[in-house]
Amino acid sequence: MDDVLDEVVSSEDLQKFEKIFHEQLHQGEVTHKAQFEYAWCLVRSKYPTDIRKGILLLKELFNSHPDGKRDYLFYLAIGNARIKEYNKALHYVKKFLEIEPANQQVLALERQINKRMEKEGLIGMAMAGGAVLALGGLVGLGVALAKAKK
Amino acid sequence: MDYVTTLKILVIGESGVGKSSIILAFTTGDYNASFPATIGVDYKCKVMEVNGLKVKLGIWDTAGQERYRTLTSSFYRDAHGAILVYDISEPKSLEKLQEWVEELQVYSTKKNIVCLVVGNKIDKPRAVQREQGQAFAQKHRMLFIESSAKTQEGITLAFEELVQKIIETPGLWESGGSSSNIRISNEASGRQKEESTCYDYSCTI
Repeated sequence: MDDVLDEVVSSEDLQKFEKIFHEQLHQGEVTHKAQFEYAWCLVRSKYPTDIRKGILLLKELFNSHPDGKRDYLFYLAIGNARIKEYNKALHYVKKFLEIEPANQQVLALERQINKRMEKEGLIGMAMAGGAVLALGGLVGLGVALAKAKK
Repeated sequence: MDYVTTLKILVIGESGVGKSSIILAFTTGDYNASFPATIGVDYKCKVMEVNGLKVKLGIWDTAGQERYRTLTSSFYRDAHGAILVYDISEPKSLEKLQEWVEELQVYSTKKNIVCLVVGNKIDKPRAVQREQGQAFAQKHRMLFIESSAKTQEGITLAFEELVQKIIETPGLWESGGSSSNIRISNEASGRQKEESTCYDYSCTI
């Protein structure tokens, strides 16, 4: 593992905090702490559906609990980056840096997101390049077949 | 892969004692006077050479704030080494280190995890004597060092001492990957197995 975006929550942790969250939900009142802990596990899950659920919970917290703003912004950025919603992730990073412009942890996250975008952008270009080559091959084949028919 | 193994190092202690600063000083040589509180858990890695062996350190920087306590404890799992930090200008931070030792005892999974107590901020006026920190470390059978992330004093030495001790602790770590000497030793054990069944060679080296 090279950076925080690679980190995956253990299933024990996810289950543990899920249980606490659901118990409170059942009783009718969920504390900020329980919701954050569950969301924090969800955005580090390997399943995109979990991550999306975590993002929803964090957004809700962000709107209802201003004290924890920096936590919520940070993990909203992480969650979005992990489902490759890089522009959204960078949006949260930017919002965070408006509050704390020199935060090392968030600046490092910004670099990691940019690195991933760059890497995946290059992969995309390579695939497009491959498609052009394949198309060229087909055209060449067509030309050869047409010639052979004559 | 140009390193023999990856070691998981955990950095714990009260909020504001300089955990992130120590890691920043070690990994980049930089210092930041106004470090905001770490959110959740941060991760940095660095390749380091000890005793001629290249090892990759995965360093986990945990938030010291109380409200993260339930979340950070799961990062203790499988750690090879732990750095317990206090602030020599803040006696309370050494007192509180006792709680962190207890956390470690509860949540760490490797029995012979190597621990190092670090008295940080020696650039500041001293309120905790060196002997007090040393006595604490001794009581818990841990290594001890004093440092300053600001002046870099003791920083590299702290990590070197810790990693050296981990490397010297048998059974604590395993070499990862498929470097050639491991394959040779497997072959050798296979051959020996045919000759004798008295020993169990299934252990990894």
